[in-house]
Amino acid sequence: MEKVHISSQFDADLEAVRSRLLQMGGLVEQQLRDAIGAYSSGERELVDKVRRTEDAVNMLEIELDDRCTHLIARRQPTAGDLRLIMAVIKATTDLERVGDEAAKIGRIAGQMHDTGVASLVGFSDVHVAANMAIGMLKDALDAFARIDSAAADRIVKQDKQIDNEFRSLLRELITFMMEDPRTISTALGVIWIAKALERVGDHAKNIAEYVIFVAEGTDVRHSGPPADGVL
Amino acid sequence: MFNFWVPVGFRFGAVALAAVFAWLAVGPQTALLVALAGLSVLIGLHLYYLKKVSDWIRQPDALEHVGDLPPAYGAWASVFAELRRARRREARERDEVAEAFHRLVEAASALPDGIVILDRGGIIEWCNPSAEQHLGLDLARDRGFLILNLVRAPAFTEYMMRADFREPLILTDTVAGTTISVQFLPFQKTRRMVVSRDITRFTRMEATRRDFIANVSHELRTPLTVVGGFLEQLIDQPEIAPAQRQRIEATMLDQTQRMQRLIEDLLALSRLETQSGPDREEEFDARLLVEPLVAEAQALSGGRHRIAVDAVDLRLRGSPDELRSAFANLVSNAVRHTPAGGQIEIRLGAHPDGAQFAVTDNGPGIAPEHLPRLTERFYRVDKSRSRETGGTGLGLAIVKHALARHGARLEIESEPGRGSTFRAILPAARVRMVTESALPA
Repeated sequence: MEKVHISSQFDADLEAVRSRLLQMGGLVEQQLRDAIGAYSSGERELVDKVRRTEDAVNMLEIELDDRCTHLIARRQPTAGDLRLIMAVIKATTDLERVGDEAAKIGRIAGQMHDTGVASLVGFSDVHVAANMAIGMLKDALDAFARIDSAAADRIVKQDKQIDNEFRSLLRELITFMMEDPRTISTALGVIWIAKALERVGDHAKNIAEYVIFVAEGTDVRHSGPPADGVL
Repeated sequence: MFNFWVPVGFRFGAVALAAVFAWLAVGPQTALLVALAGLSVLIGLHLYYLKKVSDWIRQPDALEHVGDLPPAYGAWASVFAELRRARRREARERDEVAEAFHRLVEAASALPDGIVILDRGGIIEWCNPSAEQHLGLDLARDRGFLILNLVRAPAFTEYMMRADFREPLILTDTVAGTTISVQFLPFQKTRRMVVSRDITRFTRMEATRRDFIANVSHELRTPLTVVGGFLEQLIDQPEIAPAQRQRIEATMLDQTQRMQRLIEDLLALSRLETQSGPDREEEFDARLLVEPLVAEAQALSGGRHRIAVDAVDLRLRGSPDELRSAFANLVSNAVRHTPAGGQIEIRLGAHPDGAQFAVTDNGPGIAPEHLPRLTERFYRVDKSRSRETGGTGLGLAIVKHALARHGARLEIESEPGRGSTFRAILPAARVRMVTESALPA
């Protein structure tokens, strides 16, 4: 079904906003990876990089809000276009929160390594949760790029897993803390990080839900030149 | 030419002849009527054929409907034949071009390097399966999408925007543990081609090499520092007490021997690596090779461990020296890493795949995350502990290489707190079991 737009400039603006959002997503995804990297390696440089990225993410949030407001005011979009703009506005907020969580993870990781934690309890379990959260965020953004409601549906269901992972990690850490009170400060740090990851999973789920919202009746395939032949 | 004009001439001649007869028989008026009727029939026929040809040519797959052409008639016969020939030639050429094109696409698809073709605006037009894998794309779904929406790594966006593509971009995925190099190339004036390459193995090798050099330097520096320090002390204080002097000399000798061991191991390893097969192919009695190892183990243990042996008669083919050094490394590892009072079991016997030499201990065991990396050079499970046990950090690397040259493999089973089993499994081709029944009565 080929959608015919009266104003192709509007189409271009809409696509630009969507691309900008996905770029913000890429930035946040990288920030989250760096934060986890800072947690496992304790590299000062990564901790700083995570903090620096936060400013860039906030700038992008303001820019995106501004662009969306302008689009609505100037073009008064309806139906699918309006849904897409609404989804972008909502997803921006979610991505900004993910950025905050990543910054938090980086900060806690920095503190944990500064105080010289000898052995990190529950260390590798956090990595399982972290890979899950990063994977969910990546899949949610992929689904947003493709407006793929089937993939979005899978992500929404996946959120349960990360919640379970968080709960089992919590139980494990509680036994550690009961056995040896000296592990409490480390374990608390790990819990903060795991909680942040669980929140990242929730935000990824939200983004997936916006994709389903947009997909109802819209074909947002880029209206670029038709592919000619196989190449 | 002849084919065309002769039938035409015949037909018009026939009409003219009929007209002449009519003139002679009846009169000029009838002759004109006959000529008119004859010419009308001829024109009608030609128009009919013209219509058929024009219908036929308009069909897109004209060649398949070649039968639709009416049987050749007069001058049309040569026209039809010519048309058919032209159509066939055209079809053959089209098939050849299509074939060449498919071959090219298939070649591009089979490349281990990823290729993505982008239009001026960065929209994906085509990519091969390697690129799908490297960049997480799916051609069937993603054609027509902006590549920046799908490959969202900030470094990639920056690289594409900067438009300076002399150097490739290195993308590292920390979750999947892969490293991909990406480079943009100009292509067909307005298009751009992205070439991606999986350099995970290469970067890993590079890291291993760096680590190796750092490790060797570190391993050699420690004993050298000790020896150097003591030598300085001996020079500064020539009148040192003989007892102290002796102690210093003993330590220096010990450290020197350690360096020597390390160098010998390194040389052994490099020798094992450069050749692919064992240095000798001879059949020998494996039991005679294992028994001295037990004696060595007992000497090394100094009675601190209980050592049990269970060896059956079997003969192996290969290099006895290399296998002895592999087995000896496994045994001495067990002795060195098992605390006093532990039990060590050495077994030589049959295995479903051939034969096995297994060393089992009830020492501290090894955590599962270390197992895959155990045979890496200088890999230490416990960095503070293993150097004091006197290992060079190369033992298992030597074992792995020596076994690999014999087509054998090393299996490690371990459970923290329970103990470990290191098992060298030799392929059946290198084993001859000496069973009771095979012995002469």
